[in-house]
Amino acid sequence: MNARDKILGRIARTACAESGEEIAAYLAQHPRGPLPPPPENLLAHFAERALKLSSDILETSERAEVPAMLARYLQQNSLPMRGVCWPSLTNLPWRQAGLDMQPRPANGHDLVGVTGTFCAIAETGTLLLLGGEQTPATTSLLPETHVAIVDPTRIVATMEDAWDLLRREFKQPPRSVNFISGPSRTADIEQTVTLGAHGPYRVLLILAPA
Amino acid sequence: MQNNSADFKRQVTIKLADVRLQEALSHLQTRFVEGRSAVIGEIHDLQKTRNAAAEIRDRVLNDLEHWLLYFEQQATKRGAIVHWAETGADVNRIVAEIAVGHGVRSAVKSKSMVSEECGLNEALERAGVEVMETDLGEYILQIAHEAPSHIVAPVVHKNKEEISDLFAKTHRLPRKTGIAELCREAREILRPAFLNADMGISGANFLIAETGSTLIVTNEGNGRLVTTLPRVHVAITGIEKVVPTLEDASTLLRLLPRSATGQSITNYVSVLTGTKDKNDHEGPEHFHIILLDNGRSRLLGGEMQDMLRCIRCGACMNHCPVYQNIGGHAYGWVYPGPMGSILTPLLGGMENAPDLPNASTLCGACAVVCPVKIPLPDLLRKLREKQMQLGMKSRQETLLLRAWAWLALHPGIYGMTTGIAVRLMRLLGGEKKLLHSLPGARGWSGGRDFPAPQGMTFRELYRQGKRL
Amino acid sequence: MRVGLFVTCLVDAMRPRIGFAAIELLEAADCEVIVPDRQTCCGQPGYNSGDRKSAQALALKFLDEFESFDYVVLPSGSCAGMIRVHYPDLFKDDPALLARFIALGSRTFELTDFLHNVAKLKKIPGNFKGKLTYHDSCSGLRELDVYQQPRALLACMPEVSLQEMGESTACCGFGGTFSVKYGELSTRMADNKCRHITDSHAGTVTGGDLGCLLNIEGRLRRNGDHTTRVLHIAQILADKEA
Repeated sequence: MNARDKILGRIARTACAESGEEIAAYLAQHPRGPLPPPPENLLAHFAERALKLSSDILETSERAEVPAMLARYLQQNSLPMRGVCWPSLTNLPWRQAGLDMQPRPANGHDLVGVTGTFCAIAETGTLLLLGGEQTPATTSLLPETHVAIVDPTRIVATMEDAWDLLRREFKQPPRSVNFISGPSRTADIEQTVTLGAHGPYRVLLILAPA
Repeated sequence: MQNNSADFKRQVTIKLADVRLQEALSHLQTRFVEGRSAVIGEIHDLQKTRNAAAEIRDRVLNDLEHWLLYFEQQATKRGAIVHWAETGADVNRIVAEIAVGHGVRSAVKSKSMVSEECGLNEALERAGVEVMETDLGEYILQIAHEAPSHIVAPVVHKNKEEISDLFAKTHRLPRKTGIAELCREAREILRPAFLNADMGISGANFLIAETGSTLIVTNEGNGRLVTTLPRVHVAITGIEKVVPTLEDASTLLRLLPRSATGQSITNYVSVLTGTKDKNDHEGPEHFHIILLDNGRSRLLGGEMQDMLRCIRCGACMNHCPVYQNIGGHAYGWVYPGPMGSILTPLLGGMENAPDLPNASTLCGACAVVCPVKIPLPDLLRKLREKQMQLGMKSRQETLLLRAWAWLALHPGIYGMTTGIAVRLMRLLGGEKKLLHSLPGARGWSGGRDFPAPQGMTFRELYRQGKRL
Repeated sequence: MRVGLFVTCLVDAMRPRIGFAAIELLEAADCEVIVPDRQTCCGQPGYNSGDRKSAQALALKFLDEFESFDYVVLPSGSCAGMIRVHYPDLFKDDPALLARFIALGSRTFELTDFLHNVAKLKKIPGNFKGKLTYHDSCSGLRELDVYQQPRALLACMPEVSLQEMGESTACCGFGGTFSVKYGELSTRMADNKCRHITDSHAGTVTGGDLGCLLNIEGRLRRNGDHTTRVLHIAQILADKEA
């Protein structure tokens, strides 16, 4: 008998089993637990929470303005004017804003990475990013600065709302689904929070409608 | 990892006298206890949410076979290979086989307490695979050749100075003193390891049955790196970690980081499903999930089953007055504090951890903060009952307990005996009404006087119609 | 109402005064107080040490002696918790007894809980004057929600000024047999508690459980503090010249 059979055999003896149908019904319903009360203003709540996570936030009503806005931010913070962006974002006027944004996955040397956002979650000020060919996960991970363009109409209240959106738009979750909540951090040394561990040191959110 | 829990009492003496450790442990209070209390109120209805969380865990534990099979089926559908391991040694063997099968020379690892159970790193080194811990705390421990002392903050026992010395010695770089500088140095040392590793090893906070996904929470980003960059990803976790749906995981996520580190959410929550698509530029080509039993299945259906609800937040140890005073190493194995005092004897053998179930005042601080409502003091007490049944208690203790119970069941003799005892103690207490030593109870009198009794028992006085 | 008073083994042997203070307080709240003569120990030491059988025997003895009262009151949170919370657990497999223990438990109260929430005592007989600080004992606090009750009663005493210590809800390290088995650890925990008591500058510490108070007093005295007074809450509430 292999380990699988042995383990499952021991477990089976103890179970007060739900039937296969019950499990299927539960999964089909995927009931929600107790939820936070819905915020009065999703955008305001999201922004408030995101700031608490030490993210920076800029806002524009024109998506085409994003590169110029980012260029000013990079300049102000003495950050390089080049980096990588999601291939899905190549059509923005990066060059006109004086930026060199290469549409490829990030490598260990890229310092700025620009991504979009699948949706954002107001509850905690969190971004939800899906990995994929056009939306590589490394862009939000390897560079020291992660810039995420957030469509304010795709801010949802809770994690559960985000899952529903994901289910509506995808048959199954893509390989990597990542919640990102501010710059990476560690508190391993003397329980002192330090921003910038293995991921970005700073996260800039640019709120811009699609 | 070797189990040294039987050495608990000796370790307590050492840890209480360790000035540096005591200083380090004081950070626990500020960051974790105050941190939790600052954000736990954000949860709209905490008790309802804790109840829901416990229910989610119970739903799975009550029917673990079917949920595990469902998870296995979904994960397999997406291209993951699910392995089952009876023991830590089996995990080590499976990982080594995977490594050999894929020609793996180097591995990067994010924090996994289950892998600590197995002693995986040593096993992989023996198999010729170079393993690098990448969680900052675990990395520090790896180069210091030490074991974690906390399941969330593994290096809580070390101070900055020790880490500065360690880095300077190991990295052969100028000694840094600022915490931010130390963090950057570790980042720069570890970055090439991430980029070049053949295999990434992670744990899993939850297994989502619905989607066949592993869910990992991290702050540093190393969890994302080890599961994104190397061509092989191995996730190792306990069989009890299944939750049915993404919604259920969300309920638990409202509690986990708030209970653990006082964060509303961790920086990253990664839901990882299957292998990379053919067009993807990144992500593992091979995804192995190893499910470890190591004694867990024995707890199902019994009076200790509630322990398997545990989501490893560490709140019980952060709030435990025993842990707060001695830290995690004294407990002798992977899991310290109240949850460890239960898991260590259950997974590692009652006889190997005789002190742990007893080394608690049953103050209940742990049960109040447990996000999944594990009745930790009750479970500790049940282990004491088990010790009694197994004849593990000392003759002296058993005798004393029996004698006391017998006396208490015989009020006449009880009255006489207590009457004599209190007079004697009153006499010995002298003018200051204090006993400086208690024969047979030196544990007490080593550090405390014993206030002498008033001299007559309440029952005597009451019977005589006297009132004090 | 007929109230059965269980003074607890510690009060019986160590501090009879607390038992009499409890009687005075219950009488001040217009209760008829009965003190069953054969009472001894609630069985907690055995129960917490894994000796379930002896705890069951003592639970049955307790049931026999106290079942007939309207209420049962104990000047101890841990013993009251034993009866309310743990006696039912001891008989969870015997439905008939379980029902009786649950009924008994629902009528059983820690002293300050009873005085404040059931008897609604407003006129406190004691006349303690000055500052004091309150230690919240674990079982009363976490098993019975005794926190605000003693404070509410103290607030009815015009001359009392409650100076809260830091971490008043942290365990003092007593833990029954723990204090002997793990003496060093227990002493360190007592030390932390004593530091908070001293830092409160109250000069008097009170609480609802004699075990904790003996532990605290023992450590204070060993540390050379012979002035800080350690008194049970019943004494504070009842005594005329405390």
